Amino acid sequence: MSGLITPFLMQSAVQAITPILLAALAGVICGRAGVFNLALEGLMLVGAFAAIVGSDFSHSAGVGIAAAVLASVVFSMILAYGATIFRGDAVVIGIGMNLLASGLTAYLLRVMFGVSGTFSDPAIVGLDKIPIPALQRVPILGWGFGRQTILTWAAWALVVLVSVVLFKTPLGLRLRGVGEQPYAAETLGVNVRNYRVGAVLVSGALAGLAGAQLSLGAVTVFAEDMSAGRGWIAVVAVMLGRDNPLYAAAACVLFGFADAMSIRLQSEGLPNQLTDISPYVVTLIALVISHRKSGRASSAAAALATTADEPQLDTR
Amino acid sequence: MSALPSRLQPPSVVVAIVFAALVGGALVLAAGVNPLNAYHQILVGSLSWGSLPDTLNWATPLVGMTLAAALPLRGGMINLGGDGQMVIGGLAGALTAIYLPGPGPLVATVALIAAALAAGLYAALAAWGENRHGVPMLISTLLLSYPAVGITSYLVRFPLRDVTTGLPQTALVPPSARLMVISDPLNIGLVLIAAIAMLVLYVDRRTVAGFELRVRGANARFARYGGVRLDRQATRVMFASGAIAGLVGAIIVLGSQFRFIDGALLTPAYTWSGLMAALLVNGEPAGAIFAGLFFAALQTGGFAMQRETSAPRVLTIVLQSIVILFLAVRNGVGRRAS
Amino acid sequence: MPTATEIEAVGIVKRYGALVANDEVSLAIERGEIHAVMGENGAGKSTLMSILYGLTQPDEGRILLRGREVRFRSALDAIGQGMGMVHQAFKLFNSLTVWENIVYGAEPRRGLLIDRREARRRVAELAGRHHLAVEPDAVVAKLSVGVRQRVEILKALYRDARILILDEPTAVLTPQERDGLFAVMRHLAAEGRTILFVTHKLNEAMAITDRLTVLRGGKVVARLRTSQTTPREIVRAMTGRSVNLSLDKAPVRPGAALLEARGLTLASPGGKPLVEDAALCVRAGEIVGIAGVAGNGQSELVEVLVGLRRPDRGAVLVGGADVTHADVAARRRAGIAFIPEDRASVGSALTVSAADNLAMGFQRQPPLARRGMLNAGAVAARARRLIAKFDIRIASERAPVGSLSGGNLQKVVVARELSHEAPVLVAEQPTRGVDVGATEFIHGQLLGERAKGRAVLLVSAELSEILALSDRVLVMYEGRIVADLPRDEADEDSLGLLMAGRALEAA
Repeated sequence: MSGLITPFLMQSAVQAITPILLAALAGVICGRAGVFNLALEGLMLVGAFAAIVGSDFSHSAGVGIAAAVLASVVFSMILAYGATIFRGDAVVIGIGMNLLASGLTAYLLRVMFGVSGTFSDPAIVGLDKIPIPALQRVPILGWGFGRQTILTWAAWALVVLVSVVLFKTPLGLRLRGVGEQPYAAETLGVNVRNYRVGAVLVSGALAGLAGAQLSLGAVTVFAEDMSAGRGWIAVVAVMLGRDNPLYAAAACVLFGFADAMSIRLQSEGLPNQLTDISPYVVTLIALVISHRKSGRASSAAAALATTADEPQLDTR
Repeated sequence: MSALPSRLQPPSVVVAIVFAALVGGALVLAAGVNPLNAYHQILVGSLSWGSLPDTLNWATPLVGMTLAAALPLRGGMINLGGDGQMVIGGLAGALTAIYLPGPGPLVATVALIAAALAAGLYAALAAWGENRHGVPMLISTLLLSYPAVGITSYLVRFPLRDVTTGLPQTALVPPSARLMVISDPLNIGLVLIAAIAMLVLYVDRRTVAGFELRVRGANARFARYGGVRLDRQATRVMFASGAIAGLVGAIIVLGSQFRFIDGALLTPAYTWSGLMAALLVNGEPAGAIFAGLFFAALQTGGFAMQRETSAPRVLTIVLQSIVILFLAVRNGVGRRAS
Repeated sequence: MPTATEIEAVGIVKRYGALVANDEVSLAIERGEIHAVMGENGAGKSTLMSILYGLTQPDEGRILLRGREVRFRSALDAIGQGMGMVHQAFKLFNSLTVWENIVYGAEPRRGLLIDRREARRRVAELAGRHHLAVEPDAVVAKLSVGVRQRVEILKALYRDARILILDEPTAVLTPQERDGLFAVMRHLAAEGRTILFVTHKLNEAMAITDRLTVLRGGKVVARLRTSQTTPREIVRAMTGRSVNLSLDKAPVRPGAALLEARGLTLASPGGKPLVEDAALCVRAGEIVGIAGVAGNGQSELVEVLVGLRRPDRGAVLVGGADVTHADVAARRRAGIAFIPEDRASVGSALTVSAADNLAMGFQRQPPLARRGMLNAGAVAARARRLIAKFDIRIASERAPVGSLSGGNLQKVVVARELSHEAPVLVAEQPTRGVDVGATEFIHGQLLGERAKGRAVLLVSAELSEILALSDRVLVMYEGRIVADLPRDEADEDSLGLLMAGRALEAA
């Protein structure tokens, strides 16, 4: 076991966590606002594609990131307006958005670049990994963060930022109220609709960053359906974390490790078809264990339980 | 109980389709193709006399997966694990057909039953997960799908790999065990799925089980209060849903591909199109069948469109998702439409 | 002494489609007055209060605040002009603390952050000044109903409400807590604030108010000075006819014990005791009433009795047979019918037709089903019969029940459960939110069941209902049954004490 925690493993783990963490933060913000965001998968995919396109045409990773954020925010408007102003079912909209993202990115891949499956191009500029020699000598954590992209640093900074905003600012307090009792919030002068739309758009931006990390962060490539279920794992992280950014981050750490561990096992000779499934298995086990100790259920779990009643939310 | 939610009367569906066609038209233009030509090809490629067999052939698994998704949806539950259930059924069917000795038709029948059972049990696992451990079925069905795909993929790449071709697939299913052909490319699978469709419809309209499922879909607490055992009902419905999905997998293996090929069951994306069709009508069986047929025609036409105009056929998936999103946003289609 | 007119509504009209909820409603309230707005469900009280609080806009009419015409464009607007409202169903954020709830939307700040210390200080000061004891850091979810109501009032006072609307505030209070609320009301009125007290409870309106306005069918039908009117006059104004305020109960000799509970104990997953060692017995031809403020274990006890929950210990017997481990379906077969507290979320499915709603509970037996096959014709026929018999106002048996009024929906539930002809009937809050006409009808049905020799267990937060119908009265407090009295030994005062946890002797 001693050789199991290697610098490479730590680096892969931290890298793997980044997109899930950003998506989980996106989910937490929406969850607190009372909008159930199942479209994280599709938003990430859209961001990943836009990042590749942006970087390809401008030869700049920065533009790629900006494109990813912009594209995902625009895409998230379907949920932002569909589930609030139009009062559609967030679950159906989320699933529909995931399918639309998958089909649309595949279509544009063919139309814009003439390829199917995967796309890569030397003209695409990926994200630089920032080496910090002093950090790289620190065991475990230092190995993890010694050489990561700016988005990884941003992700962890955002965990802190989101926590502070949520629990210590008026904006955060009002958002929490909106998610819990929208009618009460409305009568006290908080515009529920604006908060919800805003929350979804912000989550779109974060998911866009997650997508950019996916396609520009490790190897610069776009592959069809490359989000590969990470959006769903982020949904689970939000559920396990009970809509709390710090607990959700902890859940993401767990999954990131499972992911990296599977890569390690691959290098030990286990076939990748088997090792690839470890994050999902770990997720399921975590859900079972978490139920045993459950206190406050997250808004997500409550929304998904087939015996729950959901009060009709009036945001008119 | 009305068949369709009042919001989903024909006019709204037509508007949704028109809207999708407009957006799709713009996308097609971006590919340098004339939208009118593209849509013409879709229509001709799906509904013309020569294309109907292809459409029906595609419709067999698609309507099958629509029914697999519609059944739990009728009761307010969502099964997102159709992919995993389909491959489990496909592999189970293939292995039974290859290794079980006996007269062909009998082997084929046992293979189909094995497929349904294996996939059904796997789906019921998710119900158990919610009953006993509080893990929502929507999440667990999806999460369970990945291991199922991964393990079957591993099996046909290593222990069960076909040594003669060396490709990631099983050996060929013996000709005697394959599904009887009606008229190329149609086989008995079509009849099977049609029979299942009638069965689902019948159960929904005429039996107590269907009544209780509908009531649960409307208000699960009320169903429980009225004496329905929600946990048992969930297990039964998920089993049935998985069994149908597994059957679809076996029908494809025994009727068209004659072996289990890694990934081949999943590339046509029957599961997700079927889910979309089922979501359109909230699981109502008659509507689901029509929606499934519609999407099948759309996708078959898409093949023709790609052949004739080079517009990528994945456009049809985009059109489908736009239709469902449009209806979800504008008409409140969804589990909690009321 | 109240003098000047504080708030006045003139000619308020509000229509919802064909329904005129408020029809030329005018009333004038004086500063420092405690004014009751009374009427049955559906009379237009809620609509009027919504308008006064800015939640809705009137179609016609004006509102005058201290003589000046005002327009409340939103609740926030109304709050800004001195209105405050405590709703019947509290609008609190359960997972947040008391101080977070009170300052929500108007948080004291320090830079970009909330100034927590200042917020807590203000809350403490406000609570002290108005004698409304609260703990600023307590999480609302853990508070009792009485304390939550104090938080609601503090919310309004934090925004310096000069006019406070209280919507059915005593529905969830024990008699002693209610007296505490009245003391606060008098104190606020003495401070120069004005109180609008919306209620349908005659005794309370008589006890605390200066004047009354009675609404019926959207119109003002009476303006009375409390000291110069009588309950009978008020009721006649509310209902438009003389209502028999007491029910005639024929004496019935109770028979065998049909529903029994022994030593029922149930704790929440977190360990909090919900029901402690509860025992009861309901005999044929008897109505046993369980009185108690909501939240003292009655709902949980009922759930255990009907099979929706398993107890940790104890036994439930129906007709002598042990059903403790039987599920809901089995208990229904054993002979229990159940009118649940929440008719919309539990007792019916709103998007489903009346016929299907009325069939629930019977869907596995002839004549509605045979060997798993449903007989749609029988379902429809049965529904039509019940709709006629119970006078349910609905377009047809195929119409979804979501369109029905509260009273009619409750009739659907009652019709279904009574058509079981079950020996045991458990009725939980059977007339909550139901108009007087349907209430009378339902009370008549319950007495009818009693006369037919059924065992009826009635759980209600309305003491008047318990006292009117029951042969024996039980009181639940903190999960225990603290009293089991024959009707003639029970009265409102002694029951109130028991409901608040005080033993009879130590009055």
